[in-house]
Amino acid sequence: MTIAWAIFKKELRTFFVSPLAYVFLGVFLLLAGFFFSMGVSLTGEASLRIMLANLSISLLFLLPLLTMRHFADERRSGTFELLMTAPVPLWAMLLGKWFASLALCVILLLGTLLFPGILAYYGDPDWGVILTGYLGLLLACSAFVSAGLFSSSLTDEPVAAGLIGVVLLLPFWVAGSISEMVDTDGLRSALRHLSLLAQIEPFNRGVIDSAAVAWFLLVTFGFLFLTWRSIESRRWR
Amino acid sequence: MNQIWRRRIAYGSNATLVSVMIIGVLVLVYLLADSQRVRWDLSADALNTLQQDTEAKLRVLDDEQVPVRITAFTYQRGKDDTVLRDRAVRDLLVELDLRSEVLEYRIVDFDRERLTAEKLGVTDYGTVVVQRGEDRIDLRDRDMFRRNPRSADLPFDFLGEGALSRSFAQLLAPTRRVAYVLQGHGEPSPTDRGATGLSELVTALDLERYEVAPLDLLRTDREGRGPVVPEDAAFVVVAGLRSGLTPQEDDALLAYLSGGGSVLLALEAGQAAPSFLPRLGLLQLEGVAMDTVLVFPFRDRPVPVYRDHAITQALRQSQKISVLAAPAPLRATEPLPEGVRHSPLLVGGRESWIERGGPSEGGGAAYQAELDAPGPTLMAVAVDLLPGGELVRRTRPPAKVLVVGDAEWLTNGLLLEGPGNRDLAVAAAQWLAGDEARLSATVGRPTAQRRLALTGQETERIRLISLLLLPGLVALIGLFTWWGRRGR
Repeated sequence: MTIAWAIFKKELRTFFVSPLAYVFLGVFLLLAGFFFSMGVSLTGEASLRIMLANLSISLLFLLPLLTMRHFADERRSGTFELLMTAPVPLWAMLLGKWFASLALCVILLLGTLLFPGILAYYGDPDWGVILTGYLGLLLACSAFVSAGLFSSSLTDEPVAAGLIGVVLLLPFWVAGSISEMVDTDGLRSALRHLSLLAQIEPFNRGVIDSAAVAWFLLVTFGFLFLTWRSIESRRWR
Repeated sequence: MNQIWRRRIAYGSNATLVSVMIIGVLVLVYLLADSQRVRWDLSADALNTLQQDTEAKLRVLDDEQVPVRITAFTYQRGKDDTVLRDRAVRDLLVELDLRSEVLEYRIVDFDRERLTAEKLGVTDYGTVVVQRGEDRIDLRDRDMFRRNPRSADLPFDFLGEGALSRSFAQLLAPTRRVAYVLQGHGEPSPTDRGATGLSELVTALDLERYEVAPLDLLRTDREGRGPVVPEDAAFVVVAGLRSGLTPQEDDALLAYLSGGGSVLLALEAGQAAPSFLPRLGLLQLEGVAMDTVLVFPFRDRPVPVYRDHAITQALRQSQKISVLAAPAPLRATEPLPEGVRHSPLLVGGRESWIERGGPSEGGGAAYQAELDAPGPTLMAVAVDLLPGGELVRRTRPPAKVLVVGDAEWLTNGLLLEGPGNRDLAVAAAQWLAGDEARLSATVGRPTAQRRLALTGQETERIRLISLLLLPGLVALIGLFTWWGRRGR
């Protein structure tokens, strides 16, 4: 656990000394602000629903860019071999990097707390709905980060890793839209189960759905497992 | 070399197999979680929690295992509240879908999928089509949403759950029942599409699975027996008589009531009332019920006040007004005949009176103390005839009569003009037919949005803060960090 903690701290430190961090944070908050003001002017609601729904899609594209360097960069700079030969358990390395990325997501989301504050100043928002909305977004971040880690473990090129991450997550986004066009009930139902938007939607309405929580946790675990297998395969490939 | 490849293939196959198995297990775990899902609604108004009545109907639908298909067409893009309306419908359908095994829904973009709209014969934005087997119910915008008169910041209430719940109740009704409309005395005709006809009422009742058929009680059958009300009658409508009923017709209707039947008796001011009206404990008074305050839009078109009753429950809740045209005032006899129980349904406001002629005031009728009678006026009464009383045999179920001092409210001209007239007619039909369960289903919990009351200046301020403050702050921190680490 100490090793995982050390990797966690190192990853966070590396991130915040790089200008990329601030560009990333700035772009994210600009998008959040845009979606928030759009939601307010479009519906006049004291709600973050439009902002949170759009942010979940934006993060689907942004988070693989955040996680792309994790393994790809290590391999390119030659530190990966060092890590693999050091007495560092694979799971500790994986958890350390995953938690570090998730902590960054928490920092990103904390940055958006200004918006509920604005709603509270001008209106009477439903705090239960806001709370579950943030919980849903955090769960989505956890799944996206693990998918990003997996894509990063597949290649030496960070940019390629980022693109692979987006491609991996894209079906989860488009499944919802395709399901609306499908006539077959069974297929439509299957696509809805796969859809990220369908899974995150209950949270944005103020509902904690055990199946949706399970979906995000299982997707997270699934990609972390695949990352573990992918890194481990380096030992016998 | 071969050994290395063999090792790679062995390890690779093993890794792939294990990965596929683990993913399979994850999918199974999700399916298990999906089948055993638990939901916690943390919204302040429990907006995502269905009412018990709706849940009960979904359970009945599931028990019968007949698929229910809901096709919801979107609202027109670019209009005010389109986003909110579409979202409210979608949210409700998601909740219903989660709680039913037989329900399937589909959201159709009305502009993009015209073919689907044409196939279903849908011509209006926001229509929701509920299908079960051969049966189908269309819900329109007015069924799903209600303008909110209380506040400009809350533009509408969403009544979708109540509307869909009612449609489930209609689909669950086992058979179509027949409402007979008495003919032969100059009454409005069910087939007449003009302003004085009843074709709109027929359409409204048809949607509620009541078939409307004319009833002729003047003719005898081939064996010379006097005519009787058919056994399959859910209720009989006697509306707008221009001449009195013959003794034979009176007898037929009384015989029907004595067996536990139901009659909607819609009178006309100045026209003959059935002779059995006093036996119901009611008298039709001379004159016309008028009002100066509660009118729509003239004094002889009073907007009655709803009294508490199963028929008016939904109307009171949804605050929909009904309109009568020059209604005949009613009065209860004292004492009431044995076995007769009255429930006043529609009464005039405090400014109502019974107009009996005399000079007018500014082109409209005015109260003259020496000629007219003061209000409040009684315009409709629900009458329960108990078994063992004067009219209903002891062994039969109670009979029901709804007496309204006006018949014009049922005609095409007024049925759609009065916002609540259609609902009042449908609720009356359901009460008379003994479909009280369906009456309760019409009561939906309205849900409104939490809105921000912002001026243009405030909206602009929010936009500036949202777009500039946080990104600017991050850029500043980034600059300081870069400056501090310069040259390291």
